[in-house]
Amino acid sequence: MIEPAERLSIRLTINGRVVEREVSARRSLADFLREDLGLTGTHVGCEHGVCGACTVFVDGKSARSCLLFAVQLDGATVTTIEGLTPPEGLSPLQQAFCAAHAMQCGFCTPGMVVAATELLEKNPSPSTEEIREALGGQLCMCTGYVNIVRAVTEAAAARRGHAGVAE
Amino acid sequence: MSEPAGAGHWVGAALPLKEDVRLVAGRGRFIDDLGRHGQLHAAFLRSPHAHARIVSVDTRAAAALPGVAAVLTGAEAARLSGPIRPLIPTTAAVSDYCLAVDRARYVGEPVAAVAAADRATAEDALEMIRVEYDPLPAVVDPEEALKPGATLLYPELGTNVVWHDTLTYGDVDGAMARADGLLRERFTIQRYASTPLETFGLIAAHDAGTDSFEFWTNDQRPGLTISILAASLGVPQSRIRLSCPDIGGGFGNKRRPAYLLICALLSRKAGRPVKWIEDRIENLTALMHACNGVIDVELGYRADGTLLALSVRDVTDEGKNLVTPSQHNLIKLGNIANGYRIPAIRYEAWSVLTTKCPSGANRGIGKPFMCFAIERSMALLARRLDLDPAELRLRNYVTADEMPYTTPPGAQYDSGDYPATLRRALGSFDYPGWRAEQARARREGRLLGIGIATSVEPAGTNLASYELLTGRRSVSGSAEAAMVRMEPDGQVRASIGDPSSGQGYETVIAQIVADELGLAPDAVAVARGFDSATTPWLYLSGNYSNKFSVTDVGAIVGAARRVADKLRRLAAHRLEIDPGDLELRDGAAVVRGSPDRRLTYPELARTAYADVLGLPPGEEPGLEARFAYQNPLAAPVDAQRRVRSQLVFSNAAHCCLVEVNPRTGVVKLLKYLVAHDCGREMNPLIVEGMVHGSTVHGIGAALLEEFRYDAQGQLLTSTFLDYLKPTATDVPAIEVERLEHPSPFTPLGAKGVGEGGAIPGPAAVANAVEDALTPFGVTIRSLPITPERVWRWMTPGAA
Repeated sequence: MIEPAERLSIRLTINGRVVEREVSARRSLADFLREDLGLTGTHVGCEHGVCGACTVFVDGKSARSCLLFAVQLDGATVTTIEGLTPPEGLSPLQQAFCAAHAMQCGFCTPGMVVAATELLEKNPSPSTEEIREALGGQLCMCTGYVNIVRAVTEAAAARRGHAGVAE
Repeated sequence: MSEPAGAGHWVGAALPLKEDVRLVAGRGRFIDDLGRHGQLHAAFLRSPHAHARIVSVDTRAAAALPGVAAVLTGAEAARLSGPIRPLIPTTAAVSDYCLAVDRARYVGEPVAAVAAADRATAEDALEMIRVEYDPLPAVVDPEEALKPGATLLYPELGTNVVWHDTLTYGDVDGAMARADGLLRERFTIQRYASTPLETFGLIAAHDAGTDSFEFWTNDQRPGLTISILAASLGVPQSRIRLSCPDIGGGFGNKRRPAYLLICALLSRKAGRPVKWIEDRIENLTALMHACNGVIDVELGYRADGTLLALSVRDVTDEGKNLVTPSQHNLIKLGNIANGYRIPAIRYEAWSVLTTKCPSGANRGIGKPFMCFAIERSMALLARRLDLDPAELRLRNYVTADEMPYTTPPGAQYDSGDYPATLRRALGSFDYPGWRAEQARARREGRLLGIGIATSVEPAGTNLASYELLTGRRSVSGSAEAAMVRMEPDGQVRASIGDPSSGQGYETVIAQIVADELGLAPDAVAVARGFDSATTPWLYLSGNYSNKFSVTDVGAIVGAARRVADKLRRLAAHRLEIDPGDLELRDGAAVVRGSPDRRLTYPELARTAYADVLGLPPGEEPGLEARFAYQNPLAAPVDAQRRVRSQLVFSNAAHCCLVEVNPRTGVVKLLKYLVAHDCGREMNPLIVEGMVHGSTVHGIGAALLEEFRYDAQGQLLTSTFLDYLKPTATDVPAIEVERLEHPSPFTPLGAKGVGEGGAIPGPAAVANAVEDALTPFGVTIRSLPITPERVWRWMTPGAA
């Protein structure tokens, strides 16, 4: 039996770097990323797994970091918005978000980018319905989703165009 | 200030947003991203009862828990701080402290607070506080609350009614008597809120050495909040500094001086900074709801559909709102005529306290319900007269050649062409085509419905209108302050007393300044947020009331023009010519007709800051200007009790198409089009985004969102699992058509756009669903339109 405040050691890979820390058993992954590692790009909007602001990649799949305990992530690979952002400039998907003004307050945006990244990795040519379905677990209170769907559509088209040239 | 902007061309451009570049990378700086050395974390113990006497509070065990640094009770808070000063003092007779003292009046009201080493420890400590409550009857229904003999929230007031008045403009009774017909309907609206994705939060730090307080918070209205904090804490305002970082959405919800006070007192007690971040359940339970309420409409009309008189009886449920009670009423009165020419209007209203979450500002404050009542009435009247609902509206609009038009209660519609807006919407929507399709579908048993709702959307608040509620003037007008400074290197910095919560100010302010100073927006850095020590500000400062176009633009333009004038004077002195012969462009003061004779901004800034002997005689060094702009439309209440509570009016027409599933009652939005006119669009990219977002707020209120209380005053929808927000799969792409009739009464011709679709959206969706359910003879009088309710309407005997 582990007590809530008991401290445990974990070792995991975050944004390509191995991290070893001691954390209390009740620390959520979201709080671990934000408080212990200073990765404040992951936002916390509801803490009950609905809003999607805290979405990150865990072992290649999107996950709600507010619903996971950090100690569950021992040995895992985690990628956050900081890991999806190139050292210089922005990714093509992020550029598409800016071109379409796919955000207003920007609080949901990192989670949206994670969800959209996952969609485009699985489905390079998503229909509008598929985009809306894939973003259906991400709440945005500002944009009405119109420009977000537009941005993902544009990013997918640009990716296909780019890939076509490469082939 | 009525002349057009300078030679520039940046205002009006759909410029991608500067702030988007950092936000998309997770590089925003929100309140929970900040911290202070040695900070503690607070948690609040909240009342589980809607209404209860607080018999005793025992905090000994909590205070003894390792890691706990300070505990605060209501009784202690009332000793250490003064009552919270209301913005609208209709209830000045009662004292309200930051914590409940001897009585809790809604589920979630803070009763005690703890500051500890971390949030988890603070929450552990809350479980060790023993509160003895003596439960009292809950007061849930506002119409019950105003009856004699109702349980009272404040026995000392003798009533739950904090404001009741009847305002009559014109011969209402005569017009009703002459009318060919009267439409009488009753509408109700539920409690809902815009629920910004970032919750409320703050850091409070007391500095014992100077007995001063520093606050960091996502409070939307810092000017007002600072004055409340200083008064309650008993320190001069000069010893309070308040800063706002990036704000993750606001919509009016993000304000609660009580929370800042609780943490200020904890910080002073503990001698360390105290941070508190609201969790989502606290946000939904206790921060701020739009008022629920009941409106009875009586509409007198001629047989041809011409409106003759309107009488509205409005009961508004404030919850425990002692800060801005009756604000919803005032704002409804300002919008009561919607876009229509109605010669005689009566408004009788009650603002009623109940044992529910405090009501407060929420995108549109009261206007969504007012518009719902009027636009539902128009739909019902069209049905009664067998007129097309569009045609009925066109017969009653205030027309472009009547502008500026003053409604009977005193609102001034400044500009716009309301019939043109509706016609544009109908044309782009293909209204005749969808009517034909609807008829075909109905023959096949499909339930298609078309909804129309149109609205006026005011901007800016004239605080003098509060006199209508309180009988005396304490605050008035509509104003904002800003600063523009050219730095010693010729780059420009600007700041304003209105902290953005997602409106793109860093970009649009840079566009405005760029035009005034003749340089590129990239050369203008607009300060993020707000800092009372460096940002110019007024009591009226803040991010509220759609006010950017009405006051903020004037402040920015005024400050920029002061800098521009000084640049011309400096350059004229050095070039030995008249300032009038200079123009500012491409980052330089250039002699008209001799483009080679010029001084660049770095050269002029060097004179201003470093080589000051080169200044004209008597000229003050530096290139910094502050300007506070007051919109001249704001005026006191007149002798007929008319007032411009808000100042300039945008307008919109919404057309939507829904399909109701006859088996499940689910409403699917198939198409949604908005034609709108917010005057000059300073950045169309920002404007269009706001139209999308505000419209989806309206859709959420129409179909999904409800803070539902049971008879004991317990909130049943306190998470996003049961308080449902629209997701990407619930809404269609919002199509937008724009018209641009600039306002003659704002510095650059712009008007409000932030509240936008939240106002007519609920009515448009309801009108469409009712239209779809025509075969069932349904009349929609309340929201949200859930599948269960639709199924009951369609199922005989199920209602």
